[in-house]
Amino acid sequence: MVRFENVSMAYGTHEVLKNLNLHIGEGQLVVLIGPSGCGKTTTLQLINRLIRPTAGSIFVDGKDISQVDPVDLRRGIGYVIQEIGLFPHMTIQQNIEVVPKLLGWDENRRKERTLELLKLVNMDEKYLSSYPSELSGGQQQRIGLLRALAVEPPIILMDEPFGALDPITRESLQEEIKSLQQKLKKTIVFVTHDMDEALKLADTIVLMKDGEIVQAATPKQLLSNPANEFVEQFIGRHRIYGGKADTVSDVMSDKAACVLPELSLVESVELMRQKHVPSLFVVDDNHHLLGQITIEEIRQVYGRENIPVGEVPLYHGPTAVKDESAKEVFDMMMENHIDAVPVLDEENRVVGVVTRSSMVKSLAHVVWRDENG
Amino acid sequence: MADFFVEFQKNLPEILRALLQHIGISAAAILLGMIVAIPVGIWLTYHEKPAKVVMAVFGVVNTIPSIVLLGAAMILLGIGYIPAVAVLFLYSLLPILRATYTGICEVSPKCIKAATGMGMSKMQMLRLVQIPLALPAIITGIRLSTIYIISWATLAAFIGGGGLGDLIWMGLQSYNFGLVFCGAIPATVLSLVVSALLNLVIKRASRHKSEEAAV
Repeated sequence: MVRFENVSMAYGTHEVLKNLNLHIGEGQLVVLIGPSGCGKTTTLQLINRLIRPTAGSIFVDGKDISQVDPVDLRRGIGYVIQEIGLFPHMTIQQNIEVVPKLLGWDENRRKERTLELLKLVNMDEKYLSSYPSELSGGQQQRIGLLRALAVEPPIILMDEPFGALDPITRESLQEEIKSLQQKLKKTIVFVTHDMDEALKLADTIVLMKDGEIVQAATPKQLLSNPANEFVEQFIGRHRIYGGKADTVSDVMSDKAACVLPELSLVESVELMRQKHVPSLFVVDDNHHLLGQITIEEIRQVYGRENIPVGEVPLYHGPTAVKDESAKEVFDMMMENHIDAVPVLDEENRVVGVVTRSSMVKSLAHVVWRDENG
Repeated sequence: MADFFVEFQKNLPEILRALLQHIGISAAAILLGMIVAIPVGIWLTYHEKPAKVVMAVFGVVNTIPSIVLLGAAMILLGIGYIPAVAVLFLYSLLPILRATYTGICEVSPKCIKAATGMGMSKMQMLRLVQIPLALPAIITGIRLSTIYIISWATLAAFIGGGGLGDLIWMGLQSYNFGLVFCGAIPATVLSLVVSALLNLVIKRASRHKSEEAAV
């Protein structure tokens, strides 16, 4: 739908974009993200020719846009900006109907479309005769969005549309965009500097830095396979609740307390005391899990402290694997009052442990974004 | 004041004639001023350098005492209605020009950005966005211009332009202050009435703003 071929852009000697190549597929919601000055807004404004590139070509719907009249081009592309930019002297209805009017739609058709649009965002008809200044910021941006959708352009450009809104309004508008996108299947190019927003909305995230694309990937890929340290940092800073406490590997400690079966029970208890752990994993020479001992098992062999742990009837409790959902393991531990769950690899080797305290540590890390936690 | 009422009753038909003439001169000057200054003001918003020059030139023109310009007009154009209107027209230009220029320039960039982005041509943008938004400012300029012109039009009598100035001059020459008031009071009332009317128009043009403060 939109294709950038070797596009460069410079203001004087300052290079804003360096040889950009990007393809945005039809019906995709692509989020351009990066620190300020990375060229994301420039990239967006190249698409509707608010800016012209110094080199390279941009194709919209297969046509080189330098050959298309900018006015015609822009009428086929919806544009939503952070400043909203509703016309203050026009009523809401007039604002929504600007482009339909420019395209010569008759009054009935315009009104019909306007009502349809209002319904799309669950806004009451009574707003039609209001002026923008009578609406809240969130409502205004909804109208800004409807205005961009009015003539059903196949492409919509959104330049930090929710940047100036309060968090609650922003969130509800994000939800709306998401559900609208599912209904309408538009090609949306969305600029933001907010990673939460990008992760929430994007089919593809294009992470930019200094006029270049650092990584273009789905949110999942970006989170699991960041291309380099910069990407890692960028995600890290914008980590969301649940973003990094997703799987067992996020919440486990890799310092599982393991003992060999030959160790005597006395020594094992001493080890538990030293390490402040409620249980030990008994493993063989290759670190395969044989079983677990807890206070319960020790109590049952009371008086025979000198036998090796291998001879104690071991406890075989639940185990987990690294990419299992952290929440499920957490729920299971809570329900069954289990203190520690061993984490095993494919060959049943102990690679870590999930304890209540390791869980709490990871959650604290997520909630307070403590870099050192 | 008693003189005034006596003179007023005595000269009523004469006053009405002079008033109409006064309105005629002022209206002609203002209309011509609008026809020239509004388009030029808009044009100047696209041309920054000429804008500075033009504003400076008219700034100077407006500091020339009107008597001097009237004298110059009399030399160039003779006496009567035409030179009077010509001079007043020159004076009417600057307030309208400046108001149009700043009014258009001050249309918020976000509206311009939105309008450009949705595919408005330059003319559509002027017609649908810039002029309507600048309208209150432009009319304020017209109002200012009109108030000036109505008061300066009294000087038109000086070069045979007629109007309420005739009564004032005649009164001054014959020490008949009642007659002076017969010219001055209607001119003042005219100014106030026109100003009030234009204020109503401004209010209407900016009705969308009335709620803005509340948000």
